[in-house]
Amino acid sequence: MALKDFRPMMERCSNCLGCKWIPFDKIQSQRFGENCPINLYYEFHIYSARGKFQAAQGLLDGEYGYTDALLASTQACTACGACDIACKVCRYNLEPLDFNIALKADAVEKGNILPVQKEMIASLKKEQTMIIGAKKANRSAWAKGLKLKDAMKEGAEVIFFPGCKYSYDKKLQGYARTAAELLINAGVDLGYMGEADMCCASRAYQQGLMADFDARSEANIKAFKKAGVKTIVTPCSDCYYAFKRLYAAKGLEVEVLHVVEYIDKLISEKKLKLKKPVNMTVTYHDPCHLGRLGEPYVAWNGTEKKIMNQVHTWEPRRPRYNGAYGIYDAPRRVLAAIPGLTLVEMERIREYALCCGAGAACEQTYPEVSKFTANERVTEANSTGAEALVTACPWCESNFASAVDENGKKIEVIDIIDLVSRAL
Amino acid sequence: MALSPEVYKAFEDVVGARNISQDPAVLECYRCYAAQSSAHYGPFDHKTPMPGAVIMPGSTEEVQGIIRLCNKYKIPFKAATTFWAAMGYIGDENAIQLDMRRMKKIEINERDQYAVVEPYAIGAVVQVEAMKRGFNLNMAGVGCSSSTLAGTAGWVAFGPSSLFMGTASENMLAAEWVLPNGEILHTGSLGAGSGWFCGEGPGPSTRAILRGKQGTTGAFGVCTRVAVRLHPWPGPAVIPTYGTIPAYRAKLPETIKTVTVCYPSWDAYAEGANLLHQSDIVYLGHRQFNMFGRDIKTAMIKILNDPDLQLCDLPEIMADPYIKEQNEKMKIEVSLVIVGMTQRDFDYKMKALDEIIRRVGAWKSEFMLEKPIHDWTLLYLLRLGHKNLNYTLCGSYEGNFGMSPNVFVTAPLMESAAKLKDDYAKKYPYIADTGGDSDMGSLAILGGGGVTGWEFFTCFDRFDKASIKGACDMVNISQKWMDDHKLGVDMGHWNANARREDGFNYTQEQHNEMLSKLPQPWVCGYQYLVKKAFNPYDLGGSYYRTCDPASFAKK
Amino acid sequence: MGIKTDLANLIGAEKVSDDAKTLALYAKDKSFAKPMTPECVVRVSSGEDVEKLVKWANETKTPLVPVSSGAPHFRGDTVPSVPQAVIVDLSGMKKILNINKQQRIAVIEPGVTYGELSKALAKHGMMISTSLAPKATKSVVGSVLECEPRLNCNHQWAYTEPLRCTEVTWGDGNRMYTGEAGLAPMDLEAQWKEQKWQVEPVGPMMLDYYRLLTQAEGTMGIVSWASVRCELAYQAHKMFLVPAAKEEDLLDFVYRVVHFRFGEELFILNNAQLASLVGETAEEIAALKAELPQWVACVSVGGRDLLPQDRAEQQEADISDIAQQCGLKLQNAVTGVSAAKVLEKATNPCGKTYWKDTFKGSFQDIFFLTTLDKTAEFVAKMEKLAIEAGYTVNDIGVYVQPVHMGSAYHCEFTIPYNPENAKETAKVKALFEKASAEFSAMGAFYARPYGPWARLQLNKDAMGTQTLKTLKGIFDPNNIMNPGKVTI
Repeated sequence: MALKDFRPMMERCSNCLGCKWIPFDKIQSQRFGENCPINLYYEFHIYSARGKFQAAQGLLDGEYGYTDALLASTQACTACGACDIACKVCRYNLEPLDFNIALKADAVEKGNILPVQKEMIASLKKEQTMIIGAKKANRSAWAKGLKLKDAMKEGAEVIFFPGCKYSYDKKLQGYARTAAELLINAGVDLGYMGEADMCCASRAYQQGLMADFDARSEANIKAFKKAGVKTIVTPCSDCYYAFKRLYAAKGLEVEVLHVVEYIDKLISEKKLKLKKPVNMTVTYHDPCHLGRLGEPYVAWNGTEKKIMNQVHTWEPRRPRYNGAYGIYDAPRRVLAAIPGLTLVEMERIREYALCCGAGAACEQTYPEVSKFTANERVTEANSTGAEALVTACPWCESNFASAVDENGKKIEVIDIIDLVSRAL
Repeated sequence: MALSPEVYKAFEDVVGARNISQDPAVLECYRCYAAQSSAHYGPFDHKTPMPGAVIMPGSTEEVQGIIRLCNKYKIPFKAATTFWAAMGYIGDENAIQLDMRRMKKIEINERDQYAVVEPYAIGAVVQVEAMKRGFNLNMAGVGCSSSTLAGTAGWVAFGPSSLFMGTASENMLAAEWVLPNGEILHTGSLGAGSGWFCGEGPGPSTRAILRGKQGTTGAFGVCTRVAVRLHPWPGPAVIPTYGTIPAYRAKLPETIKTVTVCYPSWDAYAEGANLLHQSDIVYLGHRQFNMFGRDIKTAMIKILNDPDLQLCDLPEIMADPYIKEQNEKMKIEVSLVIVGMTQRDFDYKMKALDEIIRRVGAWKSEFMLEKPIHDWTLLYLLRLGHKNLNYTLCGSYEGNFGMSPNVFVTAPLMESAAKLKDDYAKKYPYIADTGGDSDMGSLAILGGGGVTGWEFFTCFDRFDKASIKGACDMVNISQKWMDDHKLGVDMGHWNANARREDGFNYTQEQHNEMLSKLPQPWVCGYQYLVKKAFNPYDLGGSYYRTCDPASFAKK
Repeated sequence: MGIKTDLANLIGAEKVSDDAKTLALYAKDKSFAKPMTPECVVRVSSGEDVEKLVKWANETKTPLVPVSSGAPHFRGDTVPSVPQAVIVDLSGMKKILNINKQQRIAVIEPGVTYGELSKALAKHGMMISTSLAPKATKSVVGSVLECEPRLNCNHQWAYTEPLRCTEVTWGDGNRMYTGEAGLAPMDLEAQWKEQKWQVEPVGPMMLDYYRLLTQAEGTMGIVSWASVRCELAYQAHKMFLVPAAKEEDLLDFVYRVVHFRFGEELFILNNAQLASLVGETAEEIAALKAELPQWVACVSVGGRDLLPQDRAEQQEADISDIAQQCGLKLQNAVTGVSAAKVLEKATNPCGKTYWKDTFKGSFQDIFFLTTLDKTAEFVAKMEKLAIEAGYTVNDIGVYVQPVHMGSAYHCEFTIPYNPENAKETAKVKALFEKASAEFSAMGAFYARPYGPWARLQLNKDAMGTQTLKTLKGIFDPNNIMNPGKVTI
């Protein structure tokens, strides 16, 4: 939908300001009650879904263009969707996240592209990754020595899709290998995309770089189809979201599983047993794109229909993504299966988890906002008394790595794959 | 209108560059329009004026600095925090808006049972912090997303628990207030440095000028801190919840229970309300879900309790014979929360409730006692975290009727009011047609009862001009009906004498003209004198209703 | 024309007195306030009378001192501070204008006493909460305007409860209704016809007019009727006494009972105060004092219309549990005094002699608001000061009363003395002044700033005092309303 198509939603948003908070029923403390990274950082009203719903009306009416604040609010938004689910506790006719993305896309369309975004786009085009400086030639370094089928050459029904971060980050490469080995050892006939393994471009979508997202996603879909892929397993939550929701909307019909789901499946089928105790207390960070945004795509093409004079509904029934069916329990079951491990929860979890600050490439576009957000989350993690913060997304992991809490204290950040491997 | 660079710089020096803006997109977000609660001056199709700047002070000293500059440069100002309703917004072209978001401290005094709160401590967070210490607060009907300070110091702010916990005015202890002339007033015991425990005196209470009944709604300086009385909460430190979004549910001990009492008639309702007022057994009482409309309330509860259901499912759910039957049984109802401070206390209260039910021939809704729905309702009522449901049906609503707080006056008129609204909705497609009676409101709006809250929800679509007009028509029709029944001002017009239809403040002359006709015009006459004394440059706007005594002395 | 003639023409000759004997009754009271003979006394009988009188006083710049209760007076607030004052005696306005059971509201004139109102309410199955054993002549309106603490703080949602609406003539001569009554025409009959029962006290708009009248000692205006919140009468009502050796031992108990809103009347008395309350003679008081426990918390349970016995039993059991947790016990009597007698004495107007006068013929109170945890410090200070002054510590009565649901605590010291004994009187006066000042320095909040307390309190807060002055200037521009009170 173009920005102008969101006009009814803009006007029907009623300024309840639920979008600034986790669902009120779930608030446990003042300290950890708020949910919106940019609102926490900038504080003015415009830095919220509601603020943008209102500011965009002036924009559409030509009262102003992309002012500094409107642009910052649009670009710094991590597209984490926390506002979206908070809104939908009560509202059935507003889509704050879709609107935020449309606003980003509109800003881009009007030529508002940051220098760093230009670099990302150039890298995507040239090296098929949005990680600036990474080379296509090194993409498969993580898979060296693994017995993986090259799907493009041999065909593969199940492929392992590591994503850019696991592919290029030296530390994370090992976890990608571990994950792939776990699957292979469990008897999965596993392949990967070989030369065709490229960026999913989820982060292009999150930044409103729609042309780049479209080009990359369509190429990937073509490659998956050509390789006969039926299942994609990925350790990256961004990729997971891309395939499960964004690619599905573009016609990709494959099963998409995050590695934690697969590990959970292997454990429940008793194909994987975690025997070695890991005696530590950890807390788990729900990645936005695996959690609240990890719900399956449902096709819809419809229009608004009013019943009872003025009650807003959609015809046909419109899918309602409110985080109810995100992936929350699988990682927690995996953690519970590790002997000696104790999980203590933060206050903002599951569909109302706080973003790590890396969404929409914020760590590159607005690093101060991103760092502030990561620090905020680490403060919350440390408040639980946990020794480590576990997550299932490489972007979160990387953003937390250098973060400190409000007292300047860090926390060990552990990839859930690493944690599983410690228990093997 | 933008501030001059010199004036802007002066404000910037007070709060720092980061906390002031005149970016037009930022300013646009501080304008109110009909999709928001106008509370209550009619669902007019307008925006409030664009502020000259928005400023976020971080301390009382900064607020004082801002207000002194406003006096120096004669710039009107208005502070607001959670911006629920039109009253929080400025009404002059060259005014500045204070967004109090940076001031959010909460300090709880357990022994003396109060919390000292700053403006951005919203109800939800005050409640969760209070519950950790065995307390709760009177959550204003506006819901937990709104500022506790704004309700306590600035607006009527009664709520479902007011029967047990009192209303905002009753719970307001000492306050720190930057008067519109820039002076800082500490009321009650605070002024003498004795603490926050008392808001009155010494001698005649200066707090008399700060809030009254309707509150000064930011039109009379800025309250920067206020002590709010807390009330007992014998439940767990954190309300344990379960359930899938949006159907979050509370898992509380058996001594904390919600019961929806249904009445065979409005007469029985009135008698029941009176008995409940007298009984000291109710922790919280509200006619809540009827706000969606009498015909659909049970179906709406079903929808809100199931992540897979949506508004499009309404017709099918309503056709379900069980739902139909339950809806019919729950036609005239009030939802109560009974909280036992001890098991014994709970047992007595439930027994007493049964006795009231027996006396008036009422019954408990079975549907609302179903465990999942019970637990959802309990959480809903305790936290009031679902205020956006006010807007769920159509995106906008206006409260209207708002009949006499005397239940014995209003109850006999309810069906007539409901019919009036139903007839309109059946005849015209502009407002939600969900069953005429969409009344909701608190069982009591004063501690210990005696007065009740009533508000019909007229739901309309702000995106549809005809719908806005229709809602205006409905409010005008209900006003006529209110006049016919000598019930005074319709709720949809409560604030019609505070802000003009174009979103701007009234001039003094306009106020003189309308307010001199009050039966006792000195009510606004003294307010005029008080404004003159403490707000000499008239920087607060016309929510502070004043009438120059000369204008009625002549008549 | 003289004042008397003016007033006789205005209000009626029969209502005006200036004979020396009458004037002497108003020239002094039992406090240490400086005596001042008024010019004359006007016994008004209606709001219209009051309005006429205040308008006249504005024209003639004549000071007015309103009085509602009958003698004796104890606080100095009804003794003129300036010469040539006219006493506005409202004690003859005895009409109970309305009683509404549905809303539990009574509308009364200022001359109605607790005894008179209680009797009328009883016929409707209702009652009014009282201050501690009010004097027989105590005006209910005067009592609630002065925010005398109520015995049942649980039903005080507002600090000002049970005061609701009023009719007031401000110092400038304008008469109006306050609270919800202010939004309808100034005609009670008409309001009642529309089932408006003067229930909501606040506003009616941005200004809480009635709050300007509370604790004001008649300095802002004169109230000619007020509505007061009543209760249904008890069907079951029982008091318990909880003795303790030290006041501190009772604090947790009181905190918990108040926290859970259990019980009805609840207050703490020391042995001297309890003895004075129940003792009929000085000798009996002296004897009782020797026998009684040092401190007693008095707590009652009650049930009204709804399962009264069940309610009383539940409350008794729950409060008993709390007492036990605090190492205390609910008792039906302590040595020499039954709880039933305490209940009867505390909740009813006292006899002809005010109970605080019985022991030595007169007394001086010092009272203020504080928090419960600080009361022991004040008690210790009072003892120290009494010893220093050579006053018998054991004679000093102490009364601690939670107000406004326990947000604040009224802390009251009663110092009995023999007014015939000049030396003792001087000693008590010195002790009163010294203790008042020391308490002030310790943070006592004189919310009702009678006499010297006004100076002590108002000097602490220049902005608050200035604000008050500004308001006084608006409502009483010629400073005719009880000038010299609540001011510095």
